[in-house]
Amino acid sequence: MKILSIVTKLSVLLAILLLLSLLGYAIFGNRVFLKSSPIVGQQASDFTLELFNGEKIKLSDIKGKAVLLNFWASWCIPCKDEAPALDAAWKKYKDKPVVFIGLNVWDDKDSALLYLKEFGGEYENGIDPKGEIAVEYGVGGVPETFFIDTSGKIVDKYIGPLTEVIIDYFLGKALSQDHGITKDGN
Amino acid sequence: MGIDLKMIRKINIFRKAFAFTTPALIILALLTSNSIADNIDDQVRKISYLLMCPVCQGQTVGESNSELATQMRAIIKQKLEEGESKEEIIAYFVNRYGETILGAPPTKGANLLIWILPALAIVFGGAGIAIFLHKSKSEKGKEKTKEMLNEPRVQAESKYLEKLDEELKEFES
Repeated sequence: MKILSIVTKLSVLLAILLLLSLLGYAIFGNRVFLKSSPIVGQQASDFTLELFNGEKIKLSDIKGKAVLLNFWASWCIPCKDEAPALDAAWKKYKDKPVVFIGLNVWDDKDSALLYLKEFGGEYENGIDPKGEIAVEYGVGGVPETFFIDTSGKIVDKYIGPLTEVIIDYFLGKALSQDHGITKDGN
Repeated sequence: MGIDLKMIRKINIFRKAFAFTTPALIILALLTSNSIADNIDDQVRKISYLLMCPVCQGQTVGESNSELATQMRAIIKQKLEEGESKEEIIAYFVNRYGETILGAPPTKGANLLIWILPALAIVFGGAGIAIFLHKSKSEKGKEKTKEMLNEPRVQAESKYLEKLDEELKEFES
């Protein structure tokens, strides 16, 4: 009976340990995954964007400059929150080797144009009607911003509304040759 | 004139053959293209149910009506038409959205634990519970017998029986 009792205790203990490990993995296991993007650290996919002013911009044509690629939509409230910071940062960086690109997704052209009229966005802005660029960059919501360095490599992805401080930090990294990229963007 | 008649016959044979084969070929082409289209649509459906919609709560790309899910389905279709395999398409999305895009965790690496641990927990937990129940049942049975023997009614009955035995012995002697 004593042997049975030890086996019982061990079995229950093992089951509890297994369940706890599973719970721990579920809570902490994917933490790095959720915060990073698999495309950070990789070469940015090339695309041609039709701008609202009728012109076109090709990412590969602006190599040698850092790029701030901001995905937004007119119905998105956090996009409205970050609009003043983006506008101020663009004015600050427009004479530096930095290109700001606004990429309107999951939206209609008229609403996007009204939004731009109200919230600025004097930099390059265009629409991605089929969402091909958004999927290519693994965009899962708006606003999402990618920072591309002068060699065309994605150095960071930022999810959520930007502030001037955040823009300065990430553009500083994108402009620096020694940015030491990590998947977490640290 | 003889040559002309032969030529006319040959032309007629060709005409007849053409008249018979053309509709058959058209029908065959239509059927083939339809079955290819059905096949691609089926594959789009199958792949889209394996991927989670990044902007939805617990819905797959196949289930969701969101704009992103619709665009993702269109991309899946385009890639299938370009000849990409199911694995290549899934890898394309995983490379952009991470493994969280998958409807089920892959059965490799640390994710293997997710598949194994619940089964092991059920087996060990079940075995533990079964042993515990068996043990407690048998111990309870023994305790119950002991309790029954110690009960006053049983004790009284046993005393009565002992007295009865003694009286019977006396009567016999």
